[in-house]
Amino acid sequence: MAKKKQDLFTYDGQIQISYRWSVGQAGERFFAELRDHKRIMGARCRKCSRILVPPRTFCEECFVQEMEWVEVEPKGTLVTFGDSYFSTDGKRLKDPWMLGIVRLNGSDGGLIHYIGEARPEDLKIGMSMEVVFNEKREGNIFDIRYFRPAKK
Amino acid sequence: MARRVAIVGVGMQKYEFHKTQTVEEMIFEVALDALERSKLSRDDIEAVVFGSAVDAMCGIHNSDKVAIAASGGLLKPTMRNSTSGSTAISTPILGYDHVASGLHDIVMVICYEKMSENEAAQKVFSTVYDEVFVRPIGLNVPIQCSLEARAYLHRYGITERQMAKVSVKNRGNALGNPYAQLPMKLTIEDVLASPYLSWPVKLLDTSPVTDGARAVILASEDVAREITDDPVWIKGVGRGADSVWFMGRKNYDLGRLDYAYLAGKQAYDMAGIKNPMTEIDYAEVYDPFTYKEMQHCEAMGLCPEGGAGRMIDEGVSLKDGPLPVNASGGLMGEGNPIGAGMSRLCWCYLQIKGEAGDCQVPKEVNTAVTNGWGGMYQYNAVMVIGRD
Repeated sequence: MAKKKQDLFTYDGQIQISYRWSVGQAGERFFAELRDHKRIMGARCRKCSRILVPPRTFCEECFVQEMEWVEVEPKGTLVTFGDSYFSTDGKRLKDPWMLGIVRLNGSDGGLIHYIGEARPEDLKIGMSMEVVFNEKREGNIFDIRYFRPAKK
Repeated sequence: MARRVAIVGVGMQKYEFHKTQTVEEMIFEVALDALERSKLSRDDIEAVVFGSAVDAMCGIHNSDKVAIAASGGLLKPTMRNSTSGSTAISTPILGYDHVASGLHDIVMVICYEKMSENEAAQKVFSTVYDEVFVRPIGLNVPIQCSLEARAYLHRYGITERQMAKVSVKNRGNALGNPYAQLPMKLTIEDVLASPYLSWPVKLLDTSPVTDGARAVILASEDVAREITDDPVWIKGVGRGADSVWFMGRKNYDLGRLDYAYLAGKQAYDMAGIKNPMTEIDYAEVYDPFTYKEMQHCEAMGLCPEGGAGRMIDEGVSLKDGPLPVNASGGLMGEGNPIGAGMSRLCWCYLQIKGEAGDCQVPKEVNTAVTNGWGGMYQYNAVMVIGRD
């Protein structure tokens, strides 16, 4: 933000608006299953059999809404990852936090989430990762705690 | 087939982190400049097309409304376009549509962004992310880049050293650009020693936050030939947009920009270009980060797929190279007021016309290409311009 100077005429203000977003018809099922059954659900298109994660009410390729819900293994392949030495409010951290994109086994989709129990130097694109669920789940993305390198 | 459209003038202004002008005042400056350069008057403008990427940057929703009069559009048809970072080129494409369709003969295209007035650009960028699956886990721009850059370097063996060379090139090129925010004389070691935002992206691999605007005036063939005996035509346009669910796409490898290859092909097919590497003389490529210039060069066929590292190593894209890229300094050297990345198109025009001043490349430039990119790794817009 530009600094406030004495001879510079500016007006300060704020836009603070809270939102209550609908997670959507697909999201409701996804997060209910996550919360209640520790299950990751995908949507399989009845036409092309692709399993979408995150699930949607329609198939993007076939452009139809004939979808059925299937359970997806909470394990997959690390597609890519990124680390940051800054907290979300800009403070410098000693240890980095990481996000990774994991392609979930047996599906045509994946999720992005924290990576835990690993340092950046332990990670390699293509390695096997598994989901660690939160014991206390509320029906949102934090019901997943993080991905970690899959234990053999 | 649509009728032909020419660029007959561009409007420029200095890019700075903070301009004391309002959006309205920035736009008046560039609209007036474009009119003066094309020797047209405000009354000649029949319609205006605006583009800005993220209204939350300046904190005024539908911000184009403040500049109806300033753009030359008072009591005329106006329209706003917004496709994230690709707004820079999709907006002149929208302007092109206005003229090519036969609806208007002379159209003013205005692109702008004010990024200095919000509390922190990153806070604004976070509003771009999906509210349920992505934003809560705190994705930020550095990590967003890291995810993509790591995949790109992994897929093709590109190195940080090669990325650094792009920064040295672009910031050095900006030394000749009178509108540039961050011209810098750098060495590769300077770039490699700069702090990491998120591997492999370092501070000096990154373009700045900027306030600025640009204008372009488009005219139909009949009008263009009245204004100039050396019209610069819009020869090809292309656009591609991919799914917001980047973690679940068919092509989940962020290293290869399928939507960008498609946009490039559309533009080249329309322009009748079969081999960009030999038929394109000059390029201004969207470079919010060094590795993005490299990905976009590949997607636009300015080098073989995976070959952008070799391209910079061999000096192909240097100002005096066989296929110069971003002799203006690009976003990195000139500044990156997101929507106003249309400056890349303006510089292509100036290079073709021989009006690029100290940025002018030594070789003859007849055909040039430019692109804009943005969203959640989603949008790409490409434009090819040139003489007959």
